Amino acid sequence: MANTAELTHAELDNIIDPPALVQGKDDLASITDTVCNVAENKPPRAWYIAFLISLGVLGMLGASIVYLVITGVGVWGNNQPVAWGWPIVNFVFWVGIGHAGTLISAVLYLFRQGWRTGINRFAEAMTIFAVICAGMFPAIHVGRIWVIYWVFPIPNQMALWPNFRSPLLWDVFAVSTYFSVSLLFWYMGMVPDLASLRDRAKKKMSRLLYGIFALGWTGANRQWHRYERVYLLLAALATPLVLSVHSVVSFDFATSQLPGWHTTILPPYFVAGAIFSGFAMVVTLAVPARALFGLRNLITMRHLELMNKVILATGLMVGYAYAMEFFISWYSGNKYEGFAFVNRAFGSYAWAYWIMVSCNVLVPQIFWFKRFRRSIPVMFVISIFVNIGMWFERFVIVVTSLNRDFLPSSWHYFSPTYVDFATLIGSFGLFLTLFLLFCRFLPQVAIAEVKLQTPHAHAHHGDDH
Amino acid sequence: MNPVNVNREPVLAPDLAARVSRVGLVLAVLGLGAGFALGAAEGDNLRHFFWAYLVGFAFFFTFTLGGLFFVLVQHVTGAKWSVSVRRMGEFAMNTVPALGIMAIPLLYPLLTNAGREEFGGLLWPWVQPHGEHADLVAMKEPFLNVPFFIGRMVFYLLVWWLMARFFMKRSLQQDTDRDPAYAPTIAMRKLSAPGIIVFALTLSFASFDWLMSTAPEWFSTIFGVYIFAGCVLTIHAWLVISSVFLQKQGYMKKEVNAEHYHDLGKFMTAFTVFWAYIAFSQFMLIWYANLPEETGFFHSRTTEAWKTMSYLLIVTNFFVPFFGFLSRHVKRKPKMLAMWAVYVLIVHWLDLYWLVMPSMSPESNPFGLIEVATTIGAFGLFLWAFARQGVRHSVLAYGDPKLGDCLAHENY
Repeated sequence: MANTAELTHAELDNIIDPPALVQGKDDLASITDTVCNVAENKPPRAWYIAFLISLGVLGMLGASIVYLVITGVGVWGNNQPVAWGWPIVNFVFWVGIGHAGTLISAVLYLFRQGWRTGINRFAEAMTIFAVICAGMFPAIHVGRIWVIYWVFPIPNQMALWPNFRSPLLWDVFAVSTYFSVSLLFWYMGMVPDLASLRDRAKKKMSRLLYGIFALGWTGANRQWHRYERVYLLLAALATPLVLSVHSVVSFDFATSQLPGWHTTILPPYFVAGAIFSGFAMVVTLAVPARALFGLRNLITMRHLELMNKVILATGLMVGYAYAMEFFISWYSGNKYEGFAFVNRAFGSYAWAYWIMVSCNVLVPQIFWFKRFRRSIPVMFVISIFVNIGMWFERFVIVVTSLNRDFLPSSWHYFSPTYVDFATLIGSFGLFLTLFLLFCRFLPQVAIAEVKLQTPHAHAHHGDDH
Repeated sequence: MNPVNVNREPVLAPDLAARVSRVGLVLAVLGLGAGFALGAAEGDNLRHFFWAYLVGFAFFFTFTLGGLFFVLVQHVTGAKWSVSVRRMGEFAMNTVPALGIMAIPLLYPLLTNAGREEFGGLLWPWVQPHGEHADLVAMKEPFLNVPFFIGRMVFYLLVWWLMARFFMKRSLQQDTDRDPAYAPTIAMRKLSAPGIIVFALTLSFASFDWLMSTAPEWFSTIFGVYIFAGCVLTIHAWLVISSVFLQKQGYMKKEVNAEHYHDLGKFMTAFTVFWAYIAFSQFMLIWYANLPEETGFFHSRTTEAWKTMSYLLIVTNFFVPFFGFLSRHVKRKPKMLAMWAVYVLIVHWLDLYWLVMPSMSPESNPFGLIEVATTIGAFGLFLWAFARQGVRHSVLAYGDPKLGDCLAHENY
């Protein structure tokens, strides 16, 4: 490379020769060590503290659910007409969080994005735990949780079938399909790494447990060959799921005739929003995790910067959808539709609407600047803003449309109770407990895949350009 | 990855380009001329002609905007695989002036008094609101009025022209200047991200204006995305066709190989599915909610004369290409893929025809020579503008810093 005086080195890097995805010591064994040591050694003190706090918060979730089940859904702020209330807001929020994992592992794999390898395992785990949190909310929202199995089309003596024409039922299928495929994808990708942990294990118990889950993986050529075929096929099968789950969630709203819910852009808009919030959560978790477990060389600044770019891009898509909805609510000439949107922005929930717009559309614009995309404190704060904004988006959609019924005599302001708060915060306890257990016992980074991104993995390694 | 040794030479095909552009011009003159003559012979004040002309115009515009999107997205993502076919995309995007020429006759139905009383306008029926939806349409007057509409039309074309010029100029500069610091490439990369925002907004509103407002009482927030899906399909199909054609004529034999066709094929598969996803979302949500103000659009398309075509569209635009593209074999055989690409363009045209024409004639499908002629004319005009650029410029972006990576590219 010759005359590069007029350009900063970083600019040129981005075009021609981006920084390597694996930093630090230049050998394959050290990658295995870095990742496996986390599971083999005692975790840092911070892990114990975080785990205890999460466990406590999880206890709060348990207590509030027990209270709910023995008392009834009246303990929540749900009312008529806002019968959906926070449980459905939380459900949609958590399903959204659960989108980044499969996008990173499946869609980015098909797009040949090598940087996915540093974060995919991590994001997939997060996806699975988020979907667990999501699934809980509709189940407790039905009120009589002991008959929740009625949502499944099981023949029963009452000849009672779920309504197949209801998008709420499609949701059951969409989310459970997504959960099973994501789990399969996550587990299958982990098999070679579990075998590494098995082979390195010093204690009998861990050798046995890792051994069971490693499914007798030996790393033979034939196994790798099949593994890669299956991985590609699963990626292709999981890709439509990334779009379908949140599209079906959006149908819960959009098939209705309710102003503010019924709009055709909702499916792709929900998908973009889900990816947006999912990536924000990955950043929120990756920033402390890479510092705590010494993974800075595997989850590098370049990974974080690229994720911030995805956050910016998907945030803009969400902004596009807000703008289109607003424009068409006027253009349609439908006065109910027009009212719903003006009411969102200037009605009794205007505060929630403007929190949503600020957090989702305005704040991420700071990522246009490279300096901020690469600043750990800035990205951490913004990722939390985005999480807040995306929760509020679902709140705005659910509550503003419902609380203004067609009959003004039915209008009713929604206020959450302390049980609502305890359940929402408690769901974070569930999420973080599962996540911390994952960090402690399973390989957080896809060891084998990351190795493919090192210079050694390329045929021309060592050639002179 | 280390790039293979690249022989950075231009690929020049001026004679071929001149020949193709002449063919395009002949097609344009004959097609549009014949369409006009047929339209005039119908004695309906050219109403049928202008509706058919709009379908042709929309067909042209999806090539141009598809090209613009393709170029923008390659830069914003820093794509390597696509460098050798990108110049074709640049030629496609740089046809905005010809698109502008084609837009001029569209002023006639906006300004004439013909058809106003009877239909509300010769082409767009909101020029003078009439009939049972008159009040509703009149309410949209702040947006749907002739001066503002023309102003927006000029604005979209101007913006696209400026963007196309910027990217074309820089790309050619990168070839000829051999700037070792790749300043033009970096400039393109920097502008590509804001460019996509401008693209998304202008494309959406242009689709609302030109196509959605042919049924002015109807509305759909996803409509811009629907047209976008068609644009992306079109440009990938067009890149396949033009690359295969060039190779058949003896150019770009090494620069475009099975790996690149494979990727272009994958994008066509993906956007076939994406189109179906968007089309399904639009249809299903409107059908399910069954609100009178929205169902009119699909009602006229799923009853009487249009019923068969609507159902057929699901098969021709989704099932057939989806299963057609699934095989790896198909995507890696240039000639076979080119045949599929032609198929994609034809069904994409059908889609546009289906979007527009039932609004003119809900009771009968007016398909005839007039549509065929105007479409051939519109395509000819595009081809003329597209190929003309090959007379002066290399058909390969040979100065692109990522050309080596592109040539070494392999699928897994």
